[in-house]
Amino acid sequence: MAPARGALSPTFPDASPAERALADRFMAGTVDGRRGRAFEAFARTGLPHRRLEGWRWTDFRAALATLAPVTATGHGQALPVADGAVTLRFSGEEIFLPDSLPDGLILHTKADAPALAGAEEAPMAALAAALAGRGTGPDTVILEVCGRVAEPVHIVCEGGGAEVNFARIAVIVRPGGALDLVESHLGGAGLSSVLIEIDVAASGQLRRTLSQRGDAHEAQAITALVHLDEGASYIQTALAFGARVARIETRLVHRGTGSAAVLNGVYLCAGGQHVDFTSHVRHGAPACTTRQVTKGAVLKGGRGVFQGKFLVPRDIGQHTDADMQHQALLLEQGAEVFAKPELEIYADDVECAHGNTSGALDPDMLFYLRQRGIPLTEARAMLTQAFIAEALAAAGGGTHEALSAAASRFLSGVSL
Amino acid sequence: MGGSGFLQGFAMDSRVKDGIDQETVAAARALESENYRAGFSTDIETEYAPKGLDESTVRFISAKKDEPDWLLDWRLKAYQRWLTMTEPDWAMVEYDPINYQDIYFYAAPKAGAKYESLDDVPREILETYEKLGIPLREAEVLLGVEGAAETAAAAREPRRIAVDAVFDSVSVATTFRAELEKAGVIFMSISEAVHQHPDLIKAYLGSVVPQSDNYFATLNSAVFSDGTFVYIPPGVRCPMELSTYFRMNAENTGQFERTLIIADKGAYVSYLEGCTAPMRDENQLHAAVVELVALDDAEIKYSTVQNWWPGDETGKGGIYNFVTKRGDCRGPRSKISWTQVETGSAVTWKYPSCILRGDDSVGEFYSIAVTNGRQMADTGTKMIHLGKRTRSRIISKGISAGRSDNTYRGLVSINGKAAQARNFTQCDSLLIGGDCGAHTVPYVENRRADAQLEHEATTTKLSEDQLFYVRQRGLGEEDAVALLVNGFVREVLQELPMEFAVEAQSLLKVSLEGSVG
Repeated sequence: MAPARGALSPTFPDASPAERALADRFMAGTVDGRRGRAFEAFARTGLPHRRLEGWRWTDFRAALATLAPVTATGHGQALPVADGAVTLRFSGEEIFLPDSLPDGLILHTKADAPALAGAEEAPMAALAAALAGRGTGPDTVILEVCGRVAEPVHIVCEGGGAEVNFARIAVIVRPGGALDLVESHLGGAGLSSVLIEIDVAASGQLRRTLSQRGDAHEAQAITALVHLDEGASYIQTALAFGARVARIETRLVHRGTGSAAVLNGVYLCAGGQHVDFTSHVRHGAPACTTRQVTKGAVLKGGRGVFQGKFLVPRDIGQHTDADMQHQALLLEQGAEVFAKPELEIYADDVECAHGNTSGALDPDMLFYLRQRGIPLTEARAMLTQAFIAEALAAAGGGTHEALSAAASRFLSGVSL
Repeated sequence: MGGSGFLQGFAMDSRVKDGIDQETVAAARALESENYRAGFSTDIETEYAPKGLDESTVRFISAKKDEPDWLLDWRLKAYQRWLTMTEPDWAMVEYDPINYQDIYFYAAPKAGAKYESLDDVPREILETYEKLGIPLREAEVLLGVEGAAETAAAAREPRRIAVDAVFDSVSVATTFRAELEKAGVIFMSISEAVHQHPDLIKAYLGSVVPQSDNYFATLNSAVFSDGTFVYIPPGVRCPMELSTYFRMNAENTGQFERTLIIADKGAYVSYLEGCTAPMRDENQLHAAVVELVALDDAEIKYSTVQNWWPGDETGKGGIYNFVTKRGDCRGPRSKISWTQVETGSAVTWKYPSCILRGDDSVGEFYSIAVTNGRQMADTGTKMIHLGKRTRSRIISKGISAGRSDNTYRGLVSINGKAAQARNFTQCDSLLIGGDCGAHTVPYVENRRADAQLEHEATTTKLSEDQLFYVRQRGLGEEDAVALLVNGFVREVLQELPMEFAVEAQSLLKVSLEGSVG
């Protein structure tokens, strides 16, 4: 135990009450080496804050002074998923697993957390790895996909009003396997951190669709670490409404030739809500493609953050084809949109591009709709809905309509 | 040295991309170290400050320049502040730690810091500038430097440039002063200005780049040696281009110049900066600060052709160019335009920026950065929009070859009060060969719903729409690409005053045909 505590002290010289509470939680159980290393990785930075380059616009330390329960048990309904879906529910101290599973899907639980590679890069993921399932359930839930699974798997994270909700889930798609994964992150905890490790083997396919909600008393981190082997395909669609701080982070590695990734996202932030979409894509194999479209709309007092990075290493990244687009609407004065679309390229035969725009709705379009008799509020909602539609188009598991409807409800409730 | 660098084997190597023509290859090769024409050193007796940096060094420099107490205090305050700071490490550059105790912070040619007339300037120095093609004799300037002029009338009038020549730590000559004085323009070394125009210096020094701005700017504030001071009075259009030519000559010496340019209401000035250094095996530090102030309706155009010694192809030697350049558009409708062609330095860390404070003020940044050999450049700009209807435009072209790394890093920040602000940013990168890197790190912060921000970056070809347009006018694809790419490069080059455009083109014949796709 001593080493872990020792690791804590030099890096937490002025630990916040929340950080102390997290350290106490960690020390309360037995400390094995892997958890210890994960917590050490977290302790190196503590709760990430604005002085860390990757967190300059998303300050968990400032947002989370203490660890406290919240009054809301969760926000809204879980996404309605296609019939036959199996549901895994992570709620504060409890984990609910399905009784039966569709063909091609095997579920494992592990009580000793596997080592987390690259924990230093993602402190909130390291925290989840160190504290998930602490004493009450399995540390890691592993979904093994051995064939083409017809029914979606639905992961629901709902804190039930607890101080914290941590979950660690691994999805292993075997060669040729295919799965629709749907996630409903409903908040309902002072701090939620969910870590999803995804490994898609050769020619495997995974379509991941997630929705996130929270309120101004909650901090949420959802981190996915994704590896794609030769010819694998990964399609991600996320819709986020934010929280006091909410970070949806995807760290993806193209590990096999010709793998393909789509990373789409939409954020809709009302006043007091914050969403951070961060992605890091490493083109670690030749001829891989990445397509990324992130759209956002922000109201007064809301903040949208987009940080994207494509890293194309020397030689092995040749013939990369990658495109990153981020477009945001500031629907009212007092909205904030911060973006950092980054390219780091060491190979010469690649196509990499990024585009970033932010501004208001086109007044000409608004004028056109209004002179057709559509009231201003409705015209704005229509245009914004059309603006974000592209980024939701690839949603899977029968959730596309539900996501569009959720966005539409948000936008039609906006009276500007 | 010699031709064993990466580009030597380049032409016959499979790494040459289709479409990169031989002219490009040859031009890139021309940028190799062996062709660094400014790499000679001048043998002249030099007076140094004792090696290293402590409070006495700061006092030594201040005493050398016979400075008033307030300036010494200002320097000492900066020095104390610097001691508490740590060197920044966020840029995408790597270099061996700098030993600040192994540097001469002051080096001046013996026999006086400032010469009464050119006849007093040591022959070696005059020859140095002659070799570099920098006209210090006004007569020569009149006869020699004729730029191609835009109008027939201008063609009859030879174009003239006034030069302030800074050799290591001192300004050795400033030309055309009498004529400039007639127009009310003050153009002199900053050490002279401290004595002759203390009020202006007091009012503006450190007002754009505060003492504690960053590690290297604070260091500069403590030990700055010389540099140029320009003041353009209200309503005056400066009658000629002003220019400073920086030359680092002495070994183991850092150069810490400070430039301050003030354009009063309605004034206009175009200022050019050039820099070279001898080829030496050790790294030398150049940590300059440039402050520009544009009052109401004023315009400052600042152009740089940076050709510091970049080190040889193995990465030995070269200048560390850690420079803080910032312009303050203080008055309404003011404009500051930065144009830079960066071909030199082993390591570059430089972000010429604009604070758009005045309503309707305009900031521009045009940059071509070429890296080769083992060079590393992390450069870009910051556009801070504070005033209403402020506009900025960023055009950046990065070209990487050899084993170099070239990073564009930029910030566009729209403050909550900057109603209807606009920014357009475009950064394009070209990689020549598979051993170099091109990176783009833009930061965009928008706090205004009525702002319009656009950012594009690419390492690939041109807009399909533009290509389509040109092609449907009957041009073949190659010609269409060439036309558009050349047109685009010209967009940056044409921002340079003619005298510099010629120099820049000779440094930079890397054509962009076959841009990496």
